[in-house]
Amino acid sequence: MNLLLAPFRGLVDFFQALARIHRIVPWLVAYVFLLPLPEILSATGNDYYIYLTNRILIFILLSVGLNIVKGFCGQVTVGHIGLYAIGAVTSSLLAINYGWPFWAAMPAAVVVTGLAGIIIGLPSVRLEGAYLALATLGLGESVRIMIAVTPALGSSTGIMLIPPPQVGSFVFDDFQKYYYLVMTAAMIGIYLSFSILRSATGRAFMAIREDVIAASVHGINVPANKLLAFVISALYAGAAGALFAHMPPGFIHHNNFTIIEMVTLLLMVVMGGIGHIWGGVIGAIIVYIIYDNTLEFYHIQPLTFGLIMVLLVVFMPQGIGGVIDRYLVTKRFVKLREEKSDGAA
Amino acid sequence: MALLETRRLSKSFGGLRAIHDLDIDVEAGTIHGLIGPNGSGKSTFFNLVSGVYPPDPGSSITFAGTDVTKSPPHAIAKLGMARTFQLLRLFSEMTVLQNVMVGYHTHVPYSLLGTLVNSPRTRRIDARITEEMSELLEIIGLAEYADMPAAELSGGQRRLLALGRAMATRPKLLMLDEPAAGLSPVNVDNLLSIVMALKDRYGLTLLIVEHILKVVMDTCDRVTVLDHGEKIGEGSPTEVKDDPAVVEAYLGQEMDDEEVRQAMQA
Amino acid sequence: MTTTTKGITALLAAGLVTGLAATALAGEIRIGVTMRMVSENGQKYGQMVVDEFDMINKAGGINGHTLDVTLLNDECKSDKGVANANKLIFQEKIHLLVGSTCSSVSLPIVDVTAKTKVPQIIPHSTNEKITQKGSAWVFRVPVSGRYYAGVNAKYVGENIGKKIAYLCAADAASQNDCEAMQAQMKSQFGAEAAYVAQVQEKEVDFRTHMQKIKSAGVDGIMIAALAETMARALVQSYEAGIPASVNRIGSSSASNSPVPAIAGDAAKGVFFTAAYAAADDRPIARLFNEMVRQRYGIHAPDHDFSQAYDLVRIVEIALGNADLKLDSANLAADRTAIRDAIANVKGYQGLASGPISFCAEATPQCRDGNRTAVLIAYTKGGKDYVTEVLARVTMPVDFGLK
Ligand SMILES: Nc1ncnc2c1ncn2[C@@H]1O[C@H](COP(=O)(O)OP(=O)(O)O)[C@@H](O)[C@H]1O
Ligand SMILES: [Mg+2]
Repeated sequence: MNLLLAPFRGLVDFFQALARIHRIVPWLVAYVFLLPLPEILSATGNDYYIYLTNRILIFILLSVGLNIVKGFCGQVTVGHIGLYAIGAVTSSLLAINYGWPFWAAMPAAVVVTGLAGIIIGLPSVRLEGAYLALATLGLGESVRIMIAVTPALGSSTGIMLIPPPQVGSFVFDDFQKYYYLVMTAAMIGIYLSFSILRSATGRAFMAIREDVIAASVHGINVPANKLLAFVISALYAGAAGALFAHMPPGFIHHNNFTIIEMVTLLLMVVMGGIGHIWGGVIGAIIVYIIYDNTLEFYHIQPLTFGLIMVLLVVFMPQGIGGVIDRYLVTKRFVKLREEKSDGAA
Repeated sequence: MALLETRRLSKSFGGLRAIHDLDIDVEAGTIHGLIGPNGSGKSTFFNLVSGVYPPDPGSSITFAGTDVTKSPPHAIAKLGMARTFQLLRLFSEMTVLQNVMVGYHTHVPYSLLGTLVNSPRTRRIDARITEEMSELLEIIGLAEYADMPAAELSGGQRRLLALGRAMATRPKLLMLDEPAAGLSPVNVDNLLSIVMALKDRYGLTLLIVEHILKVVMDTCDRVTVLDHGEKIGEGSPTEVKDDPAVVEAYLGQEMDDEEVRQAMQA
Repeated sequence: MTTTTKGITALLAAGLVTGLAATALAGEIRIGVTMRMVSENGQKYGQMVVDEFDMINKAGGINGHTLDVTLLNDECKSDKGVANANKLIFQEKIHLLVGSTCSSVSLPIVDVTAKTKVPQIIPHSTNEKITQKGSAWVFRVPVSGRYYAGVNAKYVGENIGKKIAYLCAADAASQNDCEAMQAQMKSQFGAEAAYVAQVQEKEVDFRTHMQKIKSAGVDGIMIAALAETMARALVQSYEAGIPASVNRIGSSSASNSPVPAIAGDAAKGVFFTAAYAAADDRPIARLFNEMVRQRYGIHAPDHDFSQAYDLVRIVEIALGNADLKLDSANLAADRTAIRDAIANVKGYQGLASGPISFCAEATPQCRDGNRTAVLIAYTKGGKDYVTEVLARVTMPVDFGLK
């Protein structure tokens, strides 16, 4: 583990030094670092990597959002994929039927999805655990079914020819251009998740996850904060949905939003580390890369994913992020204990 | 007018009357003890006044001059009531510092939006809160462990953290549910001195449920005795100790706690 | 805080970890396949495509070139299909894309192949818009939906008569079938409906309707309903005394096995449309049925199998005629050569019920190569029903285009 983390040390120190200037500085530097990624990937002779990165970045937005409500606030939601669908459909329809540019359609879709988040979150006021999961599953699935049976929402054919985003004559119509868009969105999303989760609101979410009763007697308005977590996560899903819909070839279909996709999302959050601040990011990257590299073994893929999920829950419930944290915490804790006993001696 | 007043406070679980027609006044600035055999309704009383359980119809609870009978827990907390739990209910996966910062939640003067833009004001406030909370950790002796997950603490440290978290809400009334349970005598003394220091420093009113009679007898100004959800005695520690009804209740009971019986017999 | 930065670096490393760049061998013709490999049948006809290409390799390849086939599962989901297409095109650097088996997946892939200039040949997707996008890179082996839409009416108008009564159930599919048939009878033959009965959701007694239809003296009755309702209506039509000489015409759900099973004798003569009939008695069809039965244990292969098989044969012909360099410098040229070679396939006679021909223009007329549907009729009802080929109907090239 030490060996594994060693190469990061220098980088970590570097970014920590930057953070002392201002909280946002490391993010800006990281952003600049990430800008030439398409060129680097392209140099491998395989532009598919850029596309893959774009897909992953959209999943990062989704799973970072899901991590806020599920990982941090502890609300078992299986309706997230329905919110993703609402974001995608809303933005598409505004662009196609009303000619809205992406830059207006996407924010509108984010707002609409945020409002839908209140509805998906309402059951959380009364229900917990498996019951809440069932209720949100029902709501998420009804979104999909609604799309599937309504011709204006695409029904069985899907919505096609969703225009790509455009600034003047610059059209985001290839992998590389779209990368700048989704990467920027993902960075903003991750940054905001940090801001939220390290604020009083983030602490309130975690307290609710840990112990609802203790949270409430310490002054936390539990129902309001649960709903807030749902709404924030819905905003992420809405943004991800719009970015997915407008990505060439600009096509969405109700079966992009099934329970299978939802399970994949959950796997991302669980694998990355439920409630770990990087959990959604780590999970989205790892799960999607595993998925992509096992495509040819399609006949055993669902089984493999199911197995990974079960093994994770049993042997590594804290996910990869949790394992890293645990390692760091234990090390520091041991050190502290040693110092104490030294002092006593 | 007392800081906390209950009138005809009742709570039934199914057929079980856990609290029945209970009138209690906790005067501001006092240390009020609440004792009684196991299952007599002490924790239920805490849960009722802190809003965790809704009381039965006809009950009334007034805190700091406000009727809080139907208020949710977070609203009551905002009025200045804090409590600990018999089973602690710490936020185990959160750090020690985060635990107390949650306690401070209602006093955080910035909004979510303020955090998102990370205004200099928000940063200033955040720094101040962290400092204040670190000070509090200093008082309860957990400053070194600020960044440890609460789950990593020892039993005694956890009790201290529960106390610190409740204190972080800046309460007028602090209610402690068996704060010293399971502690070694040394640690009991340590905890008591911390509680007294906090009381003096912040001008607290205390309501303490405790089985360790020494704690009650040494510290309380006034003691209420519960049995089967009803008040069977009230007065100064000495008055209560000599009250035949109280002695009867304790002696007639199959007690788990040897110490309690001995203390009562003494 | 330490984890903050680690995450950023993880993101950086992400692309690099994904694996090694695909090693594309010169001299191989790379074919990418994306299909719905979900159900048992789906997996089997996908496997058949791979096996058939394999057999070409075993027989010495095409002009000495081996075929390198990569098969991916798109689960009939557009996002996965598009991802597969991009992976096959940019990573595997394929010369030809085969797929998909679902219209909602083939549709967006058409845009991907058009933009990247990779020939795409479709084994099973009927949505008419697929070839109407104006892509020069797409070819469709199955019968387009626009042809299917008129097949029933063409057959009925030419062989049964123009005086048709309609019994239309309330579900969306049946309403659709019912309206389409009436519209087609009108546009192809100028024939108005002789009688239209709208059947409510829970209705089970159709005798009053049947009596009226009987007295209307029609040439045929179209029963557009889901399987069980259709079966019930068929039985009641005989109970009402409508003679067998009045043809019973089924809607698309007539192909579902509960129809003959429940209707029994009343199912006799009811027909439905497909691109291929297992009851086809041409030698090529009998050989094919036998092959599928032996290799994949499928008793009566449907058109999913036949179209996949025809597709392989068409690809074989086209690749045989294409002049390919098969080195990385000529990838684009080879893709164009394959496209042009497929466009040059004319009059292919295979399992499809009629000849398949393509041409160069990027129009539906050129790229919907298969215009012949087969009408399959029940000759015996019950659980052990028997079907026969009633007719083959070839539609005019422009049919269904505005
Ligand atoms: N949530 C509950 N549901 C049902 N019964 C309860 C509940 N909470 C407490 N009780 C019952 O109420 C009575 C009083 O319990 P409690 O207040 O915990 O006693 P104490 O704290 O004095 O030991 C006990 O009989 C207990 O079993
Ligand atoms: Mg108790």
